[in-house]
Amino acid sequence: MGNISYNFPIEKDDFERAGEASSKIKKILRQLGMDSSIIRRVAIGAYEAEMNLVIHSLGGTIGITIDPESIIITAEDTGPGIENVQLAMKEGYSTAPDRIREMGFGAGMGLPNMKKCSDSFDIESIVGKGTKIVMKMMLKDGD
Amino acid sequence: MSNEYSHSVILREDRCIGCTSCLKVCPTEAIRVRDGKAKIISDRCIDCGECIRICPNHAKSAITDDLNMMKKFKYNIAIPSLTIYGQFPSNISISQILTSIKRIGFDEVVEDTIGADISIFLIKEYLLKKPGMEFPLINSSCPAIIRLIQIRFPDLIPNIITIETPVEITARIAKTEVAKRKGIDIKDIGVFFITPCTARVTSIRNPLGITESYVNGAISIKDIYGEIVRNLGDNNNLIKGISTRESILWPIAGGQASALGIENYLAVDGIHDVIKVLEEVELGKLEDIDFIECSACTGGCVGGPLVIQNSFIAKNRLMKHAKKVDISKYTKEDLDRFIKMYEDGFIRLTEKIEPKSVMRLDKDLSKSIHKMELVTEILKNLPGLDCGICGSPTCRAFAEDIVKGENKKAVCMIKTMNGFKSKNL
Repeated sequence: MGNISYNFPIEKDDFERAGEASSKIKKILRQLGMDSSIIRRVAIGAYEAEMNLVIHSLGGTIGITIDPESIIITAEDTGPGIENVQLAMKEGYSTAPDRIREMGFGAGMGLPNMKKCSDSFDIESIVGKGTKIVMKMMLKDGD
Repeated sequence: MSNEYSHSVILREDRCIGCTSCLKVCPTEAIRVRDGKAKIISDRCIDCGECIRICPNHAKSAITDDLNMMKKFKYNIAIPSLTIYGQFPSNISISQILTSIKRIGFDEVVEDTIGADISIFLIKEYLLKKPGMEFPLINSSCPAIIRLIQIRFPDLIPNIITIETPVEITARIAKTEVAKRKGIDIKDIGVFFITPCTARVTSIRNPLGITESYVNGAISIKDIYGEIVRNLGDNNNLIKGISTRESILWPIAGGQASALGIENYLAVDGIHDVIKVLEEVELGKLEDIDFIECSACTGGCVGGPLVIQNSFIAKNRLMKHAKKVDISKYTKEDLDRFIKMYEDGFIRLTEKIEPKSVMRLDKDLSKSIHKMELVTEILKNLPGLDCGICGSPTCRAFAEDIVKGENKKAVCMIKTMNGFKSKNL
């Protein structure tokens, strides 16, 4: 079955380009003729993941794989890893430093929002090694 | 009524030299240069007029109506765009301008103040407070923005305020009132909008959100300017203006939003900046904002493609006029009347605004994915300079055009040149 994949490298603290990857992903989905509601979900998921990489990680990649049945977004970084994943998944929980919060980021909604817009959501994290998030969105018939 | 989508923005082929200026500024990538001439992809064009503004050879132009169209009607009403007051030196009063327009041959001149004030008042006192609204509300007054949303931000269609644009409101009220007062059949009354805006011209012919416009023709400010100037001078029997301060400021970027008396708004002008802000809205990042005023033209409607005067100068003049008039005053009874007009559908956008998926590669998702793969493959072999010499605005658009089969003679000059260079080595 035909599928197509893209990878976008994301650098730590690169606020200037933050949002570009999700913007490109959105454009790709629009061109594929996807339904608006799925595009919105994917865009939000990808954007949150992208911002997390910029703010919290040491850098990583956002990947997207699209086939006629589903869309999978993968966010992978090289550290520092999340100490308590369960806590991080709680709405409002944030480890972002003040300077980031002052900019309007780090509200503690990143991971919960990603989960909310996915049909399945997996997170694996090893302190000192990195975090891998996989979000899957199913395409309904006719999408 | 013709259903064929006709645009106001057109190309005058004799003037086009096939340069790439317009390719780059088009917000929907609707232009290609083929066989040395620019071509507009009809489905994608939103009539914003960016290409008209940039074309150094004035090859991009706008089709508007001319004064001969008045002969079709027994009674003719002119509604001059509010921007017109900024097109003349400040010592020329609004009354003089209105009177001069009437002397061109209209039976009546009606100020667009009526529609602008009703729109401001309804949004402020009714729609911002109405339950079930999708925030941030987006103004419906800029037709190029509505078409942009249809194509690039279909998710935001529910955010568009379902109120008709001021000129449509004014036209409806004026036409109905004249029909009653003069006992003339509504079909015999012609309403002409004197417009700064190309997208408005298109929207009169192909309305969005309504089945038919009460405006019969649109005359470009550029075209009628000379006639107005020639009719100025005689200061007898001047029409008494009814302009309010809010309405005079309406066509300036931010004027509409500030008239609402709220603080929590954004006023964005210039289509490329509007795109950036709408992208944020689409990501759900601006849900705490009440209202976004989007204007495709930089500076607001005063920056329209069909005006005479530089928008900064026009803005200064409008502000001077605004100072001389009172703020608008309406009673509770007026509000109830306006709400009824809205709820009855008289001044409401009653028809659904449909998304337009003109960007997609194929109707079938599997085929789309396959085509996207091809695009990605082709892109690997392109220089990524987006120079436009091939006639497509970007390397990516070039690849898409090939995959869609729309560009059979495609050649990348940069690649060809590099090919020659490597052979010489």
